Amino acid sequence: MSDLAIDIRNVVKRYDQHVAVRDLSLQVPRGSVYGLLGPNGAGKTTTIRMILDIILPDAGSISIFGRPNTDPGILNNVGYLPEERGLYKKMQVRRVLLFLAELKGIGPSEAAKRIDQWLERFSLTTDRNWGDARVDELSRGMQQKVQFIATLLHDPDLVILDEPFSGLDPINAQALKDAVLELKQRGKTVIFSTHVMDNAEKMCDSVCIIARGEKVLDGSVASVKHADGTRNVALVLGGGARNGVTEVLRDPQFVRKCDDTNNYFELELAPNADAQLLLRRLIDAGANIEKFELMQPSLHQIFIKRVGASGVETGMSGHG
Amino acid sequence: MANKILIVAKREYLERVRSRTFLIFTLVIPIFITGVTLLPLYIAARSGASNDVRHIAILDATGAGLGDAVARALVNDSSVARIPGDTVAPRVVNVTPADLPAREQATADEVKLPNHITGYLVLTDSTLAGKSARYAGRNASTIGDMDKLRSVVRQAVIVERLQREGVREDIVSNLSTGSFRLLSERLTERGRGGSGQAGFFAGLGIGLLLFMSIVFHGQNIMRGVLEEKTSRVAEVVISSIKPESLLAGKVIGVGGVGLTQQIAWFGISAYLMNFLGPIILKGATKGAAAAANPGASAAIGNSFGGMALSVIAVALMFFVLGFVFYASLYAAVGAMVNSEQEAQQAAIPVMLLLISTWIMVQTILVNPNSKLAIALTWLPWSSPIIVPLRMGLTTVSPIVIAGSALVAALGCVFSVWLSARIYRVGMLMYGKKPSFAELAKWIRYA
Repeated sequence: MSDLAIDIRNVVKRYDQHVAVRDLSLQVPRGSVYGLLGPNGAGKTTTIRMILDIILPDAGSISIFGRPNTDPGILNNVGYLPEERGLYKKMQVRRVLLFLAELKGIGPSEAAKRIDQWLERFSLTTDRNWGDARVDELSRGMQQKVQFIATLLHDPDLVILDEPFSGLDPINAQALKDAVLELKQRGKTVIFSTHVMDNAEKMCDSVCIIARGEKVLDGSVASVKHADGTRNVALVLGGGARNGVTEVLRDPQFVRKCDDTNNYFELELAPNADAQLLLRRLIDAGANIEKFELMQPSLHQIFIKRVGASGVETGMSGHG
Repeated sequence: MANKILIVAKREYLERVRSRTFLIFTLVIPIFITGVTLLPLYIAARSGASNDVRHIAILDATGAGLGDAVARALVNDSSVARIPGDTVAPRVVNVTPADLPAREQATADEVKLPNHITGYLVLTDSTLAGKSARYAGRNASTIGDMDKLRSVVRQAVIVERLQREGVREDIVSNLSTGSFRLLSERLTERGRGGSGQAGFFAGLGIGLLLFMSIVFHGQNIMRGVLEEKTSRVAEVVISSIKPESLLAGKVIGVGGVGLTQQIAWFGISAYLMNFLGPIILKGATKGAAAAANPGASAAIGNSFGGMALSVIAVALMFFVLGFVFYASLYAAVGAMVNSEQEAQQAAIPVMLLLISTWIMVQTILVNPNSKLAIALTWLPWSSPIIVPLRMGLTTVSPIVIAGSALVAALGCVFSVWLSARIYRVGMLMYGKKPSFAELAKWIRYA
């Protein structure tokens, strides 16, 4: 068994007018929570659809758990929540779930048992048994729950969620985060795409940022931050900066950039600058330090810095 | 993969068969078809003379015994409906021309009383001269009764006048009582069999059922595809199954629904026409149907029941071929568009193929062996309707049937191939309807 849940190598997908995915390679470690980050139109959904063999790449290869994604049955071990969600509206909830589970190779009796468990777990059986209701009788929130059940009903080892947080209220969003963490604890691999960096930063072990169909960077969250090289210091001085202190803050050996808002300073350290030495120099200069915090850049900052406003190519398809 | 195709087919089948629309259509259509087939005959039978024409008085002022002759003819006429056990005969009253107005008044009053005579017939010298007779009665606007009276009086006048001219009485009565019937029988290479009308009704019935079934279920599959696309459930489904397999499963599932319905339609129609047909017609004419409309009720009765099993088997085979051909095209249309309105518009070319075939049916009913009929036998989009239709009307050689089925099957392969490609790309394309150029691109790149 491969250590990689997904191994994408040099994948290319061209459409008529543009290249949706350009020579993309990425590796998703087994058992990790992996964030596929990028602005709208970056090629996230195209990549995900290629992983799921919904669309064929023009070049390159994709393997899932060490086997080509075109192998028969391999996709039975994958759960997919598409960005565009929907269910058969006129069908009974239970029958929709049964149908989708059977398509993933689960026998009808086993599927029926799991459906009962999941409906109960998502409290869809409390006031009435919503499993017997038609899909279009359900509220939007309940439909999202049913859709999520459909993604996980066949207990896949790999779960792919495309923009899972879009359209979720805070309560359902929290439930989703909990569910993802639980999946991770059970050794499942979760990939989700998003352009909300906050969620990614809190939940992901590894990330890949793509823009214009190309990989900008990837790796574990810690290594991405480290590789970024940017270190910031949040500094709060009681009584403002005195003369000597200002001199230290202007020393290019230590500080590359300094944002000054009255008593609050945000410093970007110079490359190779020693933060501890800076702290000592400030104390020596007589600074009244109320706060000195060494901060790693947020994914959001890295994203903005690396992708920038130009990362969103105008006129591209809306499929991500 | 075959297993997944069956899972899709099962869903398509069960979801449709469970619906109320299915039940209603399955029951209503055969009733409708039986109705439109039987109704004209019912009306025709109804318009024959009723027993009422015997419940009349005849005021005979001719002095030549014409009234007795008319009364005799009315009693003996087998084409006049007879209520079993009713032996009533017209009452003949011989009057002088002078007495006539008074007697007429008295008889008219009698007609107005309930449960008396229906009306009265007045025969005068003018009648004897071959010009006119008068009738007054409650059934004066019943066309069948009036036609019968007119023909009976005319007949009696002719007999009377021939006798006056010295023609021998037995010759006259022979001429006047013989009824004339045209018996038709279908003659084919394989010999005699069934009446001409039976074949006509069977052919028309099969053609109509196939046409309606293909249109109905073809559009049904189009709406199903469109629903999957607009509700966005398609993406989840095709992450589990190849679009081609999904399409195949749909066609099999909905085709199964169509086949179930076809069998139910054939069965119910055959039952209705076989057993209810004669009963309805009998009721309409109070027992005189067979005489009034020779062969018609028998023709209806035999049209489905007497149809060879081989014809039904071939009809079902062609239904499958026609269905696969049109259903996959309809599915492609459903995958191309984004709304019901767009779908109706985009389905027009498919609909034109079907309707152009149906228009030809009228011509082929008249002449099932024409060049046109033979040409349409060999076109994959028309043969599924035309071949079973022609089989009902004439003899089509097994070689032609097999060849035509083969051509239709090749047509199916092509339409499935084409549709699968459009379907594969179209299912995930939202936005505007593709142009023909874009469509060609989809087919090439898929």
